[in-house]
Amino acid sequence: MRHWMKSGLLMTSLATAALAFSATSGADDFPSEPIEIVVHTSPGGGTDTTARIVALATQAQLGTNVYVQNKKGGGGSVAMSYVKSKPADGYTVMAITPTHLFTMLRGNSQLDIDDIQGLARATDDPIIVMVRGDSRYKSIHDLIEAGRAGVIKWGGTQIGGVDHIAAMSFAKAAGMKVSFVPFDSGAEFAAALSRGDIDAAGLNISETRDQIAAGDFRPLAVMADDRMKALPDVPTLSEKGLDISFSTVRGYVVLKSTPKARQEILEKAMLKGMESDRYQNYLKGIGLDETSIEGRR
Amino acid sequence: MLAALYCAGTFGGSITAILINAPGAPPAAATAFDGYPMAQRGEAGRALGMAAVASVIGGMLSLIVMVLAAPALARISHSFGPPEYFALAVFGLSMLASISGKSPVKNLIGGAFGLLIATVGVDLTTGVERFTFGVPELYEGISFIPILIGLFAIAELLSQANVRDKVLERISLNAIKLPSATDFKRVWPTILRSSGIGTFIGILPAEGSTMAAMIGYNEARRWSKNGDKFGTGEIEGIAGPEAANNAATGGSMVPTLALGIPGSATAAVILGGLQIHGIRPGAYLFENQPDLLYSIFAAMFLANVVFLVFGLVGARLFSRISLIPRTFLWPTVFALCVVGAYGVNQSMVDVMIMLIAGFAGFWLKRYGFGAAPIIMGVVLGSLVENSLAQSMIIFDHDAWRFLDRPIAIGFFLLAAFSLFYQPVFGWLRRFRRPRSAASKGAK
Repeated sequence: MRHWMKSGLLMTSLATAALAFSATSGADDFPSEPIEIVVHTSPGGGTDTTARIVALATQAQLGTNVYVQNKKGGGGSVAMSYVKSKPADGYTVMAITPTHLFTMLRGNSQLDIDDIQGLARATDDPIIVMVRGDSRYKSIHDLIEAGRAGVIKWGGTQIGGVDHIAAMSFAKAAGMKVSFVPFDSGAEFAAALSRGDIDAAGLNISETRDQIAAGDFRPLAVMADDRMKALPDVPTLSEKGLDISFSTVRGYVVLKSTPKARQEILEKAMLKGMESDRYQNYLKGIGLDETSIEGRR
Repeated sequence: MLAALYCAGTFGGSITAILINAPGAPPAAATAFDGYPMAQRGEAGRALGMAAVASVIGGMLSLIVMVLAAPALARISHSFGPPEYFALAVFGLSMLASISGKSPVKNLIGGAFGLLIATVGVDLTTGVERFTFGVPELYEGISFIPILIGLFAIAELLSQANVRDKVLERISLNAIKLPSATDFKRVWPTILRSSGIGTFIGILPAEGSTMAAMIGYNEARRWSKNGDKFGTGEIEGIAGPEAANNAATGGSMVPTLALGIPGSATAAVILGGLQIHGIRPGAYLFENQPDLLYSIFAAMFLANVVFLVFGLVGARLFSRISLIPRTFLWPTVFALCVVGAYGVNQSMVDVMIMLIAGFAGFWLKRYGFGAAPIIMGVVLGSLVENSLAQSMIIFDHDAWRFLDRPIAIGFFLLAAFSLFYQPVFGWLRRFRRPRSAASKGAK
C-alpha cells in the first residue's frame, strides 16, 4: 500500500487495492472490474487515439468498462514503472510502441522485454522513404547515390526515436551521409518536406496518403519486408538488398505473469473488437487496412 | 461540439484568473496581470464584463476571417518553417524587458529564469537529458500548467497568508456589467488589434492561444496611453489578451485541420476526436470536405454567442467568490490548485513543481520580479532553442541564409523595432520637447 501511495497514485491506489483483493478470486468471472489501458503520451496523439478506440471496441466485447490512463514521460518509462507496480491480474494493459523498446534497450525502464506478454497488434504502419513530388530523386537509387556523394537532410522526430534510428540504420547500410533534422511531430516534418526545407523523410502512409495521391510527395521505398497493399508499385528496401525494416507498431501487452486464461480472454476480445466497423473505419481513415491487426503468434 | 467546448473553455479560465489570480488555463495567464488587480479594487464585475465582451468580439472576428479566407490562411500556415518560428520567437523575446511595468532589468532576469526552466528535459536535437536528475517525469520538460498555477495562485495565496493581521476589507462587489460606453470607446482599438494578432498567431502551427494572449497584452500595453500603469488594473490589459486568446482558438483550427499540427493541447484532443470519426486532417480537407469545415466554424460561432450570455449571467454568480471570507476561500483554492496540477498528467511530480513554483513566485514577487516575463520565457524557451537548432541544420550551419526567408526577415525587423523604438522615440521627443514646453509656457 505504501508503495502505491509513493508512486503518486492516491486515487487509483484505492481502486487498485480493491482490485487486488477481488482479483484473487479466480479467472472464472474475469473480467469483473474495469480494465485500464496505460498510454505513455498525453491525450490526442496517434497512440492515445488508437488506444481509445480499441478501448471502446474491446469494452463492447467484454461487457466491462475499458478506459485509457495517460502516464506520460520518459519515453514510456513512467508508464512502464506504473504497470510494473500493478498486480499481474489482467486488469492493467499497456499500449506498447517501438519507443518503449528503445527505452528498455537503453536500460531506462523498470520493465524488460521478458517481463511482458503481447496480446494484440492494432496498427502496423511501415516507414516509407519519401521525397517531394518535384524532387530530382526519382528512385531510391538516386537518393542513395546523392547521399554517397553529399549529405541528405532527413527529417524525423526526436533523436533516439524510431525515425532517427530508422534513418541512421538506412544511411549506414547504404553508405550514405545523412544530416538528421529533428521535429516535434510527424505532421511538422511532413510540412517541412513539402516546403523543401529537408530533402527526404521517413513518413507513414497514415500521414501522407493525400499528398502521395496528389503528387506532392513521392514514395521511394518502404522499410518493410513486403510491399504495401496501398502502394503496390513502391519497392521495399529489402528488395534493394538492404535489410532495413521499421514500422510504427502499436500493440497491447500485459505483464508476463498474468494468468494464461485471462491473457486469452483479453486477446480474443481485442481482436474481435478490432473487427468492428468502428475500428475498421478508423484504420481506413488513417490509411491502413486489416493486415495491421494481429494476435499472439 | 469539441470545437465549441474549446472556445468556452478559453473564457472559463479567465474567470478564475480575474477573481482569484489563478488562471484556469494557460491562455488566461495574461488576463490575470490586470484582471486580478481590478478585482482587488472591487472592480471584478467590470473586469469580467470586459473579458467576456472582448473574448466574444475576438472570437467572432477571427471566425469571420476564417470563413472568408481559410484556404489562403492554410497556405500562410504552411509556409512557417523553423527559420520563421525562430524569428517569431525572437520577436516575442524582444518584448521581455517591457512586458510588465516593473524594472526592465528585473524583467530580463525573470525572462532568463523562464528560459532556464524551459531547458529542462531531453534536448530535441541531441537527445541528451538536461537537469532531469533521473526523474522520468522531467524527461519531456517541466509541464507548463503546474508552473502557472504555482506562480500565480500559490504565490498569491502565500502573500495573502502574510497579510492576515491586517484588517480584512470586504471587496465591494458591483454586479457584473457590460462595459460602459466610455470603457468601450477606450478599448475598441485594442480589441481590434488583438483580434488580428490572435487570428494570425492562431494559424501558426503549434503556437496557439497562450502566445497570442501574451503578444496581445504586450501590444495593448505598447499602444496604450496608460502603458506604464499596466499590471495595476488597466481595463485595456484585460481586453488585449482576452480578444487575442479567443481569436486564436478560431485561428488554430487552421493548422489543426490543414496540417494535422494542433495549435494547443486542446486542439490536439479535437484532432484525436476527428480521427475517431475517420476524418483525416490535411491540406486536402479544405477542398474535399468544406461542409465539415463550415459546421465546425458554425459550432464555434454558436459557442461564442452562448458564452457571452452565460459569461455575463454566470459571472455574476462567480464573482460572489470574492465575497467568501479569505480564511475559507484560500484553503479551498489551495486544494483546487493541487487537484489541478495533479490532474493534467496524473503526476505527483507536477504537484511538487507547482509547490516549488509557488514558493519561488512568492519570493520573486517580494523582490519585485513579475510572473509575466518568467511565463514568457517558459513559453518561448524551447521554441527559440529548437527552431534555431533546426534552422541551422537546414541552412548547413550558415546563419546568413536566414536572409533567404522573407517572413523571418519581417519578424527580425519587428523585433528590432520593438527593442529600439523607445530609445529612438525618446531621442526624437527630446528634439520636440523644447518647443512644446515653450508653447505650454506661453499659455
